[in-house]
Amino acid sequence: MTHPRKHAACWVQADLLAPLLLPPPQQQQPAAALLQPVPLAAEPPPRAAQAELWCALHLPQLCLDAVLGSEPALRAEPGWPVGVLDPEAGLPRLVAVNAAARAQGAQVGMSLAAALAACPQLQARTRDTRQERLRLIALAEAALAFTPRVSLEPPDELLLELQGSLRLFGGLEALAEQVRRSALQLGLTARLAFAPTPRAALVGARGARGFCVRHEAQLVGQLAPLPIAVLRWPEAACARLQSMGVRTLGELLRLPRAGLAQRFGPGLLRMLDQITGRMREPRRAFVPPVRFRGRCEPHYELSSHAALLRHLEPLLADLEGFLRRRQCTVMALRLHLRHRAPHPPTPFELRLAAPEFEASRFAALLAEHFARLLLPAPVRRIELRSGELLPIAAADKPGADKAHAVLSAGSGSLWRAGEQGGTAGRETPALLERLRARLGHDAVHGLCLLADPRPEAGWCVAEPALGGERQAKGEAVPAGRAVEPGRHLRRPLWLLRAPQHLGALPTGWRLLDGPERIETGWWDGHEVARDYYLLRDAAGAELWAFRDRQPPHHWFLHGVFG
Amino acid sequence: MASQESARSLLDLLQHPGIWRGRSVALCDTLSTGFPALDEALPGGGWPRAGLVEILTPRFGLGELRLLVPALARLTALTPARWLAWVAPPHEPYAPALAAAGIQLERQLVVRTETALWAMEQALASGACEAVLCWPRRAQLRSIRRLQLATERGRTLGFLFRELTSARESSPAGLRLQFEPLPGGARLGFIKSRGGARGSLELRWDAAS
Repeated sequence: MTHPRKHAACWVQADLLAPLLLPPPQQQQPAAALLQPVPLAAEPPPRAAQAELWCALHLPQLCLDAVLGSEPALRAEPGWPVGVLDPEAGLPRLVAVNAAARAQGAQVGMSLAAALAACPQLQARTRDTRQERLRLIALAEAALAFTPRVSLEPPDELLLELQGSLRLFGGLEALAEQVRRSALQLGLTARLAFAPTPRAALVGARGARGFCVRHEAQLVGQLAPLPIAVLRWPEAACARLQSMGVRTLGELLRLPRAGLAQRFGPGLLRMLDQITGRMREPRRAFVPPVRFRGRCEPHYELSSHAALLRHLEPLLADLEGFLRRRQCTVMALRLHLRHRAPHPPTPFELRLAAPEFEASRFAALLAEHFARLLLPAPVRRIELRSGELLPIAAADKPGADKAHAVLSAGSGSLWRAGEQGGTAGRETPALLERLRARLGHDAVHGLCLLADPRPEAGWCVAEPALGGERQAKGEAVPAGRAVEPGRHLRRPLWLLRAPQHLGALPTGWRLLDGPERIETGWWDGHEVARDYYLLRDAAGAELWAFRDRQPPHHWFLHGVFG
Repeated sequence: MASQESARSLLDLLQHPGIWRGRSVALCDTLSTGFPALDEALPGGGWPRAGLVEILTPRFGLGELRLLVPALARLTALTPARWLAWVAPPHEPYAPALAAAGIQLERQLVVRTETALWAMEQALASGACEAVLCWPRRAQLRSIRRLQLATERGRTLGFLFRELTSARESSPAGLRLQFEPLPGGARLGFIKSRGGARGSLELRWDAAS
């Protein structure tokens, strides 16, 4: 697991600045006792009380946002009524509806039949809890840009500790706006609440719009009017409180502690103490995933490349964000395309010639690859995983232009390749990838010498690496063994893939030079014993042919001087 | 004597880049072919650095590649490093021979494809190649026009090897040469050469500088 410090450039600065700009946070918190009189709101409390400021992000329509995130078509048309069904309950009931559906009469809690009666055009979708979790993790990742202290509160909430980031981001208002905007970019509607304790922030976000308490002393007073449902206690406990006539948090907090613990158990009392700050609540820090994982499960089957690409685009955008936050690139992407039951999933790997992070480049390459991809059946689900992440500094040794582009999020080099001051660094892998995407990985290769006196073994295909270190695909050439070809020997520019059998020497061919005897290769079983000659055929082409030294002494054409 | 003097000074004057004459092309960036006689006959004194050159041969392997070897060796020594791409070559480019001719192997890119013209256009337009050599099966006028535009976009030199039968078709390539092998050399016919020589030229391989 990597420390989150690596991943968010922004908060590193915040962390560095914090000790300079802010008063040192006080470790020992004076617990705000319940029995103390609540001070008037206007009176500023002592500064020592504001050591922490928690922001809770409550996602009231996460299940709807997750479904819309999987279906760009639905998301693009806010006028369509959409409802999300929860299949877990015995009778599928709506757990979320969008504004259009609500306007036409569909409501949360309705059965599907009732909802369709009210709103015949309703697009009903099944809830996808895994997707919801992935969206929440994506939001947590984005939130790491604001603070290192991010904590998940499944299923639909997120906590950020923002006290140390306030100054850097220009105050609470500006910071809240940025957090809200980053959630919106992920297609998530978030309700924000601020409080000095994490639990109070959660409760506030569930209960009220614009809940914001900066100081612990004001907390109890602000929480008092909230209904007890915001505690998310077990239903039995809530029902009991209702029957006792306790409807708001204020009424609950006024009950005697001993009796409360006896009736509802120490766990619930502890939660109340955590809300009011009487007891500290340690939060488990969110650790960002090491590799990217995303999935998209549209409601319908995808049977065209265009549809596949359209559904991949949001995933690729997420991937780009993921890579940008880590200042990393990838060399490979893995796709799993799942089909209907009898068909096994189609694995697909996109290999890149150079480290890459841009969604548009991934999309362009995938479009080329998809044009060649033949699928056994329509696609029901797309899963995208990143390969190994490469830090930009290490990945981009030859050309620093890409690292610069990532850091500044700007365009690439001002110069075109080959022009003065320009480098071929970025265009080169682009060309390789485009050719390989269409023609296949092995259709494009470089050349490499091998130290072998046999003509056909004297070279091999190699991974193209312009000016960089190359690796032969077959046997690598040790540096000491790399041969300087004999300049005195005439070798043809073209070599036939395999010697072409001629039998006897064709008539009209004239011997120009030779023989040059090559008799070697005893060590690996491919022994050759040949006499090579330089010949000119009737048309005037200069050829390289050999006569086998083994009987029946046939002639073979092996090269063309071209 | 005096007339010779004045003729020379007139020639010097005409070298001025501001003077443009009908039969000459605008001064363009060129690269020596390695054969002084050919340099003299070509517009600008060599292969164009950006442009499409068609070489028409009765069949492949008659020596047309040897015509390019000195220039290719020079191209692969330039900085910054750019590829030398071989698109759909008829046989394997033989690495030991290329290395012996002074062509840097690290900059070779061999592309095996049926869609040679598409690959060539990509390579030309990308700007990542110094030169692209292509052996297409068939080439239509429209696709050659696209190649010509791609050479200008990517500032790349493209060599298109075609059958002699296409000499009668028109082509947008800036330079078209007809290649004919001779013992120890070749005869080049200038089918089209904007502002260059007409007729034909006999080259000897050992005349390479």
